[in-house]
Amino acid sequence: MAERYDAIVIGGGHNGLVTAGYLARAGMRVCVLERRDVLGGAAVTEEIVPGYRFSVASYVVSLLRPEIVRDLELPRHGLEILPLDGTFTPLDGDYLWRVNDHARTLRELRRWSLADAEAYDEYGIAMAQMARFVKPILSAVPPDQGRIDPRQWLPLRTLGRSFAELPRRLKDAFIQLMTMSAADFLDQWFETDPLKATMSASGIIGTFQGVRSPGTAYVLLHHYMGEIDGAFRAWGIPRGGTGGVSLAIASAARSHGAEIRTEAEVARIDVRGGRATGVTLVSGEQLEADTVLSSADPRVTFQGLLEPGTLDPEFEADLARFKFRGSSGKVNLALDGLPEFTCLPGRGEHLRGAISFSPSVDYMERAYDDAKYGRFSARPYIDTIIPTLVDPAMAPPGKHVMSCFVQYAPYHLAGDDGWDDTAREAFGDTVIDTIAERAPNIRDLIVGRQVLTPLDIEQRIGLTEGNIFQGELSLEQLFFNRPVPGWARFRTPVDGLWICGSGAHPGGGLMGAPGRIAALELLRERGRRKGVRARL
Amino acid sequence: MPDFDVIVAGGGHNGLVCAAYLAQAGQRVAVLERRAAVGGLAEVFPTAGRLQQTVIDDLDLPAHGLDLHRPDVRMVALREHGPALTFWADPKRTADGLRPIAPADADAYPRFDAHVRELAGFVAEVAASTPPRLDRASFADAAAGLRLARAYRRLGPRAARELTRVVPMPVADLVGEWFGDDSVRAALAARGTRFTAMGPWSAGTGLVLLADSAGNDGGAAGQTAFVRGGPSAFAGALTGAARVAGAEVRTGAEVVSVLTRDGRVEGVELSSGEQVTAAVVACAVDPKTALTRWLDPVLAGPRLRWRAGNIRTPGATARLDLALTGLPAFAGVDEAALGGRLLFAPGVDAVEQAFDAWKYGRVSEQPTIEATIPTLHDEGNGDGHRMSVLAQWVPYAAGPDEVAERVLAVLERLAPGFGGLVTSTAVLTPAGIEAEYGLSGGHLYHAEPALDQFYAWRPVIGLARHRMGVRGLYLCGAGAHPGGGITGGPGRNAAREILRDLRRAS
Repeated sequence: MAERYDAIVIGGGHNGLVTAGYLARAGMRVCVLERRDVLGGAAVTEEIVPGYRFSVASYVVSLLRPEIVRDLELPRHGLEILPLDGTFTPLDGDYLWRVNDHARTLRELRRWSLADAEAYDEYGIAMAQMARFVKPILSAVPPDQGRIDPRQWLPLRTLGRSFAELPRRLKDAFIQLMTMSAADFLDQWFETDPLKATMSASGIIGTFQGVRSPGTAYVLLHHYMGEIDGAFRAWGIPRGGTGGVSLAIASAARSHGAEIRTEAEVARIDVRGGRATGVTLVSGEQLEADTVLSSADPRVTFQGLLEPGTLDPEFEADLARFKFRGSSGKVNLALDGLPEFTCLPGRGEHLRGAISFSPSVDYMERAYDDAKYGRFSARPYIDTIIPTLVDPAMAPPGKHVMSCFVQYAPYHLAGDDGWDDTAREAFGDTVIDTIAERAPNIRDLIVGRQVLTPLDIEQRIGLTEGNIFQGELSLEQLFFNRPVPGWARFRTPVDGLWICGSGAHPGGGLMGAPGRIAALELLRERGRRKGVRARL
Repeated sequence: MPDFDVIVAGGGHNGLVCAAYLAQAGQRVAVLERRAAVGGLAEVFPTAGRLQQTVIDDLDLPAHGLDLHRPDVRMVALREHGPALTFWADPKRTADGLRPIAPADADAYPRFDAHVRELAGFVAEVAASTPPRLDRASFADAAAGLRLARAYRRLGPRAARELTRVVPMPVADLVGEWFGDDSVRAALAARGTRFTAMGPWSAGTGLVLLADSAGNDGGAAGQTAFVRGGPSAFAGALTGAARVAGAEVRTGAEVVSVLTRDGRVEGVELSSGEQVTAAVVACAVDPKTALTRWLDPVLAGPRLRWRAGNIRTPGATARLDLALTGLPAFAGVDEAALGGRLLFAPGVDAVEQAFDAWKYGRVSEQPTIEATIPTLHDEGNGDGHRMSVLAQWVPYAAGPDEVAERVLAVLERLAPGFGGLVTSTAVLTPAGIEAEYGLSGGHLYHAEPALDQFYAWRPVIGLARHRMGVRGLYLCGAGAHPGGGITGGPGRNAAREILRDLRRAS
């Protein structure tokens, strides 16, 4: 007799765990099934080089929804966020260094441009106001734009009203953010090239677009929505790496009674009479459930886990258009000591925040140009942090780990060989070379390195085409079109099968929002069904 | 009493359309044009395929001499290696031509054509309406909103969902979903980047394609129409319509500022120092010029000036006028096909690379080209012909000689011996277009038709309803909704809004 649950969650990434946490908290009998031996999906900490622990993929946390932290009482379950201080952009013979100390940042900006220093405040306020306005969208269930169903649209009317009430200046900013390129948007405010380049970088992270591509300004805002301890625009790293977030959520879910199994790879979702009835594991074990929720990406869920022929051809055709196109890679370095930058020697605080290789807007755009034609960037954008400076336990005493997020590395390389070992090592060398141009001692410090190409991310973490957001965050793949037009409400054409990963609204990042909304929507629907039954 | 009821500042086609509508409604109208001839960019755009049928009918343009010729051939995609692809008015005929080259694409083409028509039909409804106020919707807005909601509903669930997906899409992805052959993809994708500063991988170029086909029976290949007698005949028909209705059309009258008193419009001042008075001024120039150069800075205020100064007008299209001794021979193009829009867009990535060059201030080796031979559609030209070429992407400050060299090199490769036919070449780079026609940045559409400058936020939010923030000041040029090209849409919509306000005031 198969084990029976109220809900089975496929995938033990942060979204899957969040879903499980909310469902278990509501009293449902939940089981999470994770393929790997570690929990966390892309938010995972692993010891890659003996003694050195890495946030292998996702490396900072800021977007994690505060509601989740509160509802699941994550701090009680071990979540601790250590603040990252500032962003350091090394340049030839100079640098741009912004820190969390506002007055110091303004002094630094004045060194570059008085006008920019003045605009910086106004910009920050406008973005914070914008983020506040947009936040409810992150908790909304998208309506089906093909039908005018008041039950789906009415919940959005407060959003419409608050838009109407925004001052014109902010309406303007909102529309620009939704439609402009990050570079064009920033051009309106600032003139300092490295400032614009570094700020625009947050608009392209994880996307297959350049800083001049329309639609990237929105992602700028996405990154302004990060809240830690209620402070807008603050980045941090979890103690113990991003795996620490996943483990805290898992612990919260377990405390509510959820069962979480690792090394339990789902082979297929069982469907009987058009309804999901449970899953079969690779081991052959069968589990039954009223509802199956998949936090895997849409390609894996619908094409990998369902028997062919389960879905109607129209849905399959729509799904085939959903773009993944991974564009980023990751290089994790185990270091013997700290890198020393030519433009600002010493081991000062500038190493404690993000170190951004983004010297100019054209540099960023050229990095993208390479990717458009199937090459990894000859000179990539790199976002680097050295977590051991705030969390020394990640490496042996006196040693360091350095996390390099690298863009662009297109999943589809031009030429026949694709991402073989040669290409991977060449990519890793390019990253080291780029860093060494500004911190020459880096080469002598490296005691171990891990290079993850998009193909590695796909194979290791299970993200299709290595897209860290489970699907491109481009305008036509947002809100009611994510992942498939008409199916953005977390339900799928298979009754009893739901999606709860980043491939659903509102998308990726270490945010937990899809997992949370999916769970709440499922609970709402169960409540409604129960209500109907009670009335009958 | 003021000299006129309404002054239309700028005698481009939208200014003339606006004036004709207003005069027909009984207003005393003057059109003031800086140059020696009216018509503006109608000289630059060789075809008038996008002219809205409603405008033609309302103004009875054929009666004033407009003779539009719509050839069977719409677009011809020239290829360096292999025969050209010809896109006809009849999609089935196009499909038959594509079949030997790309059989699967031939099957997809009629369905794609129908798809574009369906979605463009809704875009046409949007284009014909005035965007709503975003702060406080009025009763009239609600009525317009209902009309649009009904049109949206008529699309049906599937097409409605598709619309929301296609509008913000990169056109390269859109054509990639339908077609496999790179030259077919590029030919159709080029329609989404036409005269813009965006490459085919830029988001929002899906909308540009739909807008290009909206309200003109364009379909996938886009409409192609030539005015017999050329731009002067076109301008003549519009002027005729305006004059017959009672409007005065003056050339050589350069507006230098808008006169205001107590926060409302009183007229305009000309470069001669002459003042012409009217309580309403409709600007047919680009919005940046109207707001930052004509309007009193004190009245505009720093906020609006900052916003207007940031209206994006990146000119990227150059225009070449070539005199030819005979007709060029392109592979696979017979004389019937030669009368269409001759497109050189060799591949999606190749087009994107031409755009890349522009980003860094260079002219590509392979500019994207749209060429036409208007003389094929007119009689009595003798043996000589003229070819009009619009080339993308050409940086604002590019040297005219370099542009000519690049374009002629491409044409020479496509039609060996082409250079020998050319007897004269006149080049207008974006800087030249700015100087000649007074358009900020030399942008042919007055403002980039990107998602951030569209509909209720074209040219900027709060000014999308043709009213420019000062009582009596309106925008009726391509910088207003629904945007650029020879459509007459902004002129018509602006006239409707001006009349609405005048009726309310009286």
